[in-house]
Amino acid sequence: MKPNALLQLHPMTKFYFALFILAAVLIIPGYLFAFSLFFGLMAIAFMAGVFKEFMEIVLKALLSVLIIVFLMQIFFFPGEQVLWQWWIFEIKQEGIYYGLILTSRILAIGSAFVLFFRMTEVRDFVKSLEDKGMPPMGAYVVLSTLQIIPEMRRQANTIMEAQKTRGVETEGSLFVRAKAFIPTLTPLILSSIAGTEERALTLESRAFSAPVQKTSLHKLTKSRADRILPVVLVFIIIALVVWRFFLWQQT
Amino acid sequence: MKRSFKDDFSLMAMLLIPIGVAINIVGFQLTNVLRLPIFLDTIGTILVGVIAGPWVALLAGLITNLINAIFNPVYLPYALTSMAIGVGAGLLSKYGFFKSVPKTIISGLVITLIAVVVSAPITVLVFGGATGNTSSLITATFLASGQELWTAVFSSSFIVEIADKVVSVLIVFFIVKGMSDRYLSKLKYGHLYMKRRSRQ
Repeated sequence: MKPNALLQLHPMTKFYFALFILAAVLIIPGYLFAFSLFFGLMAIAFMAGVFKEFMEIVLKALLSVLIIVFLMQIFFFPGEQVLWQWWIFEIKQEGIYYGLILTSRILAIGSAFVLFFRMTEVRDFVKSLEDKGMPPMGAYVVLSTLQIIPEMRRQANTIMEAQKTRGVETEGSLFVRAKAFIPTLTPLILSSIAGTEERALTLESRAFSAPVQKTSLHKLTKSRADRILPVVLVFIIIALVVWRFFLWQQT
Repeated sequence: MKRSFKDDFSLMAMLLIPIGVAINIVGFQLTNVLRLPIFLDTIGTILVGVIAGPWVALLAGLITNLINAIFNPVYLPYALTSMAIGVGAGLLSKYGFFKSVPKTIISGLVITLIAVVVSAPITVLVFGGATGNTSSLITATFLASGQELWTAVFSSSFIVEIADKVVSVLIVFFIVKGMSDRYLSKLKYGHLYMKRRSRQ
């Protein structure tokens, strides 16, 4: 398989791009730019070959939020120009405008971060943060968290099944279901915590907190694009800020 | 003994963070499986705050929201809330507010206030007042009855948070009670909760 040039970019370059989208969306007024940015992000996702996952997460996580945010604004944003009225509900021009601005921003910024995480392995991102000067302990914490979550989810299921066997009800009224929460969570937490002592011993026996420079098997390289792109992005942002400033002075 | 800032982040404390974050995430999933009306997604952060101090809990809260944001970017701005809850729980623990059930309930109320004060502005400024969870419906009801946006968001998130946070702190209280002295002795505020009183 041919390696994808977009996926090959350094994690930091991709991260700067997500921050760039965030800044650009906040600088440029109106909703048209932010909405068109979303189509741009879709194109990037397509080129990087992550279109399906990208759209799946955007639809699942963001769509309901966007609808609710929009409904909230059109009904309750204070304004004068009433377009439509029924009982206590009023749709106002200003509400539609503000709703569009808000939803376009949430969509653009949210999907920029979704795209970032679809295109970057968390492992690579953490490694690049470590190269930037984050303590190795921090990198370890983030990565081990990602490993522990599925492990703990499995364990939670096991404990719940076991508690069902000994007669703890997990179906029925709210009170019955709430009562099942404690006998599942408490053993889960106490047993995971017992495991940390062993983990500490293991790490210490491998000189984890020794105050020396660590070497790593996992290396990230920067290509020429990774050196040029961040500079370009910073220039565009400066240009946008200057442009916005003059626009604001004119009015 | 005076402890420096760096001493907070001992190896044991750092190893507690992944557990805390996983408790937050798995706890929330359990409430979904059991179809409970509250979230219980800060139990881990509060637990870390109570036994390992405010700064470690701040980190646990931040990482929880960053990891949730990988699959749902809506969580990203609320990282501030999680971090504030962690710091709050840590400071309350420092002054002995998790030692008995009544005091724990008071800490639950304080943490509710922290959560509301930090999350309501995010809800209003970033999402215009609603994000689609249970409190959105209450917010909408308040707004329809003619309240101001800020008051509506503050009061609805207070109603939702209070049950959530009081139950969370009580769960934390009982979990800390179940921990062994051997383990507690290795963490910053663990000595406060050991069954055998250490000589001061």
